[in-house]
Amino acid sequence: MTRRDLLHRFSGGLGLAAALPPARASSAIGHYHGPALTPQAKHVIFLFLAGGPSHVDMFDPKPALLKFQGQRPGAVDLRTERQTGGLLPSSFAFKKYGQSGIEVSELLPQLASVIDEVCVIRSMYTFNPTHTPARSLIHSGSILATRPSLGAWSSYGLGTENNNLPSFVALTPGGNSGPFLRNGFLPAEYQGTPFNETEIEPEKMIANLRNLQLDPAAQRRQLDAVQALNREFSSNFGADDFLEGRIKSMEAAYRMQFEAVDVFDIRKESDATRKEYGNSPFGNGCLLARRLVERGVRYVHVNHNAGQDWDDHKDLDKNLRERCPAMDQAAAALIRDLKQRGLLEETLVVWGGEFGRTPVSESGTGRDHNPYGYTMWMAGGGIKGGVAYGATDDFGFKATENRVSIHDLHATILNQLGIDHTRLTYRYAGRDFRLTDVFGDPVKAIIGA
Amino acid sequence: MLLLLLTLAQSPDLFESKIRPVLAASCYSCHSSKMKAPMGGLVLDTKAGLRKAVVPGKPAESRLLAALSYKDADLQMPPSGKLAAPVLESFERWVAAGAVDPRVDTASVTAPLKGMSVEDGRRWWAFQPLRESPAPRLKATAWPRRKIDTYLLAKLQEKKLTPSPRAGARTLVQRAYIDLLGLRATYGEVEAFVNDQSPEAYSKLIDQLLASPHYGEAWGRHWLDVARFAEDNPTSEATNPPYPYAWRYRDWVIEALNRDEPYDRFVKLQLAADLMPDTKRDDLRALGYLGAAPVYHKDQRLSLDVIYTFLTDDWDERVDAVSRGLLGLTVACARCHDHKFDPIPTKDYYGLAGVFASTMRSERPTFEVDPEIETRYQWLDRRLFDLSYSRNTLSGEPTTVIGSEARVALWKEEIAKLRAEAESLRERYPQLVQNLEKYWRDPAPRPVPPPKLPADATGRRRPGASAAPFMNTVFDAAQYVDGSDANYTWITYKAGESRDLPVLLRGSVTSPGEVTPRHFLTVLSTSDPALGPGSGRSMLAQKLFTDGASLAARVIVNRVWGWHFGKPLVATPSDFGTQGDKPTHPELLDDLAARFVQNGWSLKWLHREIMLSAAYQQLSVRRPGGDRIDQSNILLWRMNPQRLGIEAYRDSILRIAGNLNDQVYGLSQDLDLAANHRRTIYGRVGRGGLNGLLKIYDFPDPSQTSPGRDLTITPLQQLFVMNGTFLRAQAQLLAKSLKETEPTAQLKELYRQILSRDPSPKELDLALSYLADGSIDEYAHVLLSTNEVLFRK
Repeated sequence: MTRRDLLHRFSGGLGLAAALPPARASSAIGHYHGPALTPQAKHVIFLFLAGGPSHVDMFDPKPALLKFQGQRPGAVDLRTERQTGGLLPSSFAFKKYGQSGIEVSELLPQLASVIDEVCVIRSMYTFNPTHTPARSLIHSGSILATRPSLGAWSSYGLGTENNNLPSFVALTPGGNSGPFLRNGFLPAEYQGTPFNETEIEPEKMIANLRNLQLDPAAQRRQLDAVQALNREFSSNFGADDFLEGRIKSMEAAYRMQFEAVDVFDIRKESDATRKEYGNSPFGNGCLLARRLVERGVRYVHVNHNAGQDWDDHKDLDKNLRERCPAMDQAAAALIRDLKQRGLLEETLVVWGGEFGRTPVSESGTGRDHNPYGYTMWMAGGGIKGGVAYGATDDFGFKATENRVSIHDLHATILNQLGIDHTRLTYRYAGRDFRLTDVFGDPVKAIIGA
Repeated sequence: MLLLLLTLAQSPDLFESKIRPVLAASCYSCHSSKMKAPMGGLVLDTKAGLRKAVVPGKPAESRLLAALSYKDADLQMPPSGKLAAPVLESFERWVAAGAVDPRVDTASVTAPLKGMSVEDGRRWWAFQPLRESPAPRLKATAWPRRKIDTYLLAKLQEKKLTPSPRAGARTLVQRAYIDLLGLRATYGEVEAFVNDQSPEAYSKLIDQLLASPHYGEAWGRHWLDVARFAEDNPTSEATNPPYPYAWRYRDWVIEALNRDEPYDRFVKLQLAADLMPDTKRDDLRALGYLGAAPVYHKDQRLSLDVIYTFLTDDWDERVDAVSRGLLGLTVACARCHDHKFDPIPTKDYYGLAGVFASTMRSERPTFEVDPEIETRYQWLDRRLFDLSYSRNTLSGEPTTVIGSEARVALWKEEIAKLRAEAESLRERYPQLVQNLEKYWRDPAPRPVPPPKLPADATGRRRPGASAAPFMNTVFDAAQYVDGSDANYTWITYKAGESRDLPVLLRGSVTSPGEVTPRHFLTVLSTSDPALGPGSGRSMLAQKLFTDGASLAARVIVNRVWGWHFGKPLVATPSDFGTQGDKPTHPELLDDLAARFVQNGWSLKWLHREIMLSAAYQQLSVRRPGGDRIDQSNILLWRMNPQRLGIEAYRDSILRIAGNLNDQVYGLSQDLDLAANHRRTIYGRVGRGGLNGLLKIYDFPDPSQTSPGRDLTITPLQQLFVMNGTFLRAQAQLLAKSLKETEPTAQLKELYRQILSRDPSPKELDLALSYLADGSIDEYAHVLLSTNEVLFRK
């Protein structure tokens, strides 16, 4: 094994500490060797709303829906997952907010109040109208279950800033797994580490985080005994990368217990801060995400819920009224908090689902899946705030102006991390694979100076 | 003013600033000379190509402008959406001003990017016939024990390196146990070997281990990595439910390896056991290789194109698993275009994909059935599955697809008809009919949620493995997508028929090209490449070991070498193409592969040949001299020490604690169950939710064939060791089982149990000082956590 192989094997993610002495533990080693773009962002927080939030009710006002209510003009005759009926107007009023005057729905007063920090992309599109493949697409750029996720790529490309914590964390109710965690063909160390965000106590968020048998002193003593034998074994056997690596890794794990127990404990935040985020599972997730990026975690994925609760095939009005306030409060609090702490410039917040919803009705009170056009937004990390980019057609069905594919979104996210997406590759199955495969361009127009 | 504008438009600047960037961004992806088959034959990245789409000075006659304008419903470009008005205006201005194109076409621009031609490919090293070679001549030395040593030593001598001395008996016996059985040797096993002074002691040990039923468990697991074995699908939704009988395939692999099934037949059975004349019923389990392959959910409410794309993804997975897994070739790279590097034209890809388009997953009974009835049964099972899925999907949601009720009524009629047919078999084959009954039960009313299965640690609910007498297999049936109902898409299966696929341009189902007869890879073919009769599976299996024999032998020999030495001779075991690595010892690989074939493709012969070599028996310790010249140990001047895989680690700890249930074969069980003390290979493997322990210990993604594990060292693994309940429970069991009562004696007993040796005086001192404040079960935990347990010297 060459030195480079060795570094490759041990660096990145949690493995880094294994190869480097603690004194250098804060350096970030990644595998991106392309041209160094000027990175705007060091961290990504992806707020994921599984199911497909309805853009025409939240961020993309379409007065024509009311005018043509119940009708089915040719432009909306697009095939989605299920059979749909005529146009269904939004029952929510839109108003202009902030200096930028971006129109936002009355469902989202909190996000509306920080809209000048946000770049609303109204022209997103993806390639499949079904949840699972679409989710695989938004997280990995492909419907194939074998491709690494955006978080794994980020962690692989840039390494970590804190060797006592995983570089790629997913806050997910129930500790659920899914394509958002996937390392695919990248080595296992780049997979996301899932923490159950519905728990409050860190030791319940991830298995084996705390030693339930021994107090820290006794545990230290036990670990010292292990390490004494490990060193004895090494001195008998001779120098070996694995033996050395594991001795260091055990120390890193020991430290991680305390660092993680500390950083994952949102009870260490003031009541005022917790109230600001709203004390909901998603609010806790957003608050945790802020604590994690503060400590150098590279990529935090936050799931809104264990299921796909934004999948409003029916009762859309009622559901959105119930669901939006907590989400709105948490996401807006995150932006405000990051800004206040001077972290927004180096943290890219991304918000959205695997697709949007149709402007036409399904079952009279709901909307079907819509991959043709929908809204996502980004804030911070060098993305221009107070911008509404792109547009859908008159009804919000299909992205028509300045279209942004999920590949473009991925290219933009990597770009903000200082990575040319065409140069972040991993040799696998006979070729150099990219997150964006052979697609995608960064959306230059929304990138700040 | 007008004149000025015209002048500007006539200069090349307009083209460079306003036209070319747009062409590059919006058009080249389909209209490039670099493509084998640009869309509509139109290329826009050459001057000559672009001229065909514009008439200089006449915007109204220029087809390019007509397409961009989106005025004609049949001619709208780019398909992703109309370009912005100012862009269109620039194009018009540019054409009006004479369509100045300053580009100069050169050969390099128009020549398509091409990989190696098939003719050149035939000269590629990996495709050459295998050749035994005379052992290299060496300076006098007593070191070589087997022929492979002579090749290794010749290279070492070239670099003025010497091999390492033979490892001690304790190291050798542990190495052999861990390698062949995936278990650490106990104190008794170590001592028995150490005390056997006969010169044949070591070769007897190897024979004894190869004869153990646990051999198949350790080596079966290696194969299952390549075969991407799992018991469910990445998403496991309604149309791609888990495979309840996949465990029978896993058991078959273990059995076949234990009986040393020749490798060629081992593979042929997995591809085509049902089509081979001399197949025993039991061997049909081998078809799980294809029958439990990963597939994607196909919601039939989606359009023909979407469903067809999913199907082609399924076929693609099969092409990839077979070509990379068995031949070390990345054929899947040729799905959208001719392989960019290797001599694999797109036609070859579709020639193979057709075999899998003619092969459908099925369930077969483990008991004998009249062959005709069995074929019909498999078709009935598939068709009824789709019908009942469709009936369930559209029942209770009357608004989702207009006309649902009429459709459901029709489907129910068909179900009733097929039921009547099935019932006629009841007297003769009651179990077959019972297995179909689920399809004609009416669906439970929608509002009642399905019964909840116990959740595993990841929170996923999965049905378990089933002991019912069925197997996950395949049968010959051509698959077609039927889009005749615009709102509901069907997949039809034509039992016994086969299907040649059209080349799909750029991999897209909407751009079918020429139909390609099923055929074997051209570059490997030494006989008529046609694949048939039927699906061609059987012929494909044969051709792998006739036309493809040399490559197939090299690939498996290289994998086995890598699993023994921790590093294969070709560093890219699933890529023997031009982008892969070349062998470090080509003559050695060829000679060993040639003799492997001569010895009847016997894997046990291969293990013996490797393990009896002096190279394998070397010490694994570093030496400054070796490190200086060859730090990566490419030349094998020492054995490579290795971290144990998770299976060997977990199983050894259970065995050390006297807690291993070493029953061979059987149903899968969740590894997280505290009461699961079976070997790890019997733990359930999920594609959607891989067990957490497997995940942190580098178990490969079971949705794709694995070229080999990338062993890592991460703190999450150490948290499992330090804080997890598994090691602690085993430590407590061990402590409880100690016969001795006095601390020193207890420690010696623990050392023998866990490390299969006696402690040194220093180790004893360390332990005793720990016990002053700590307990013996804590110390058992200490010993279980040490590097020594996790390490193969």
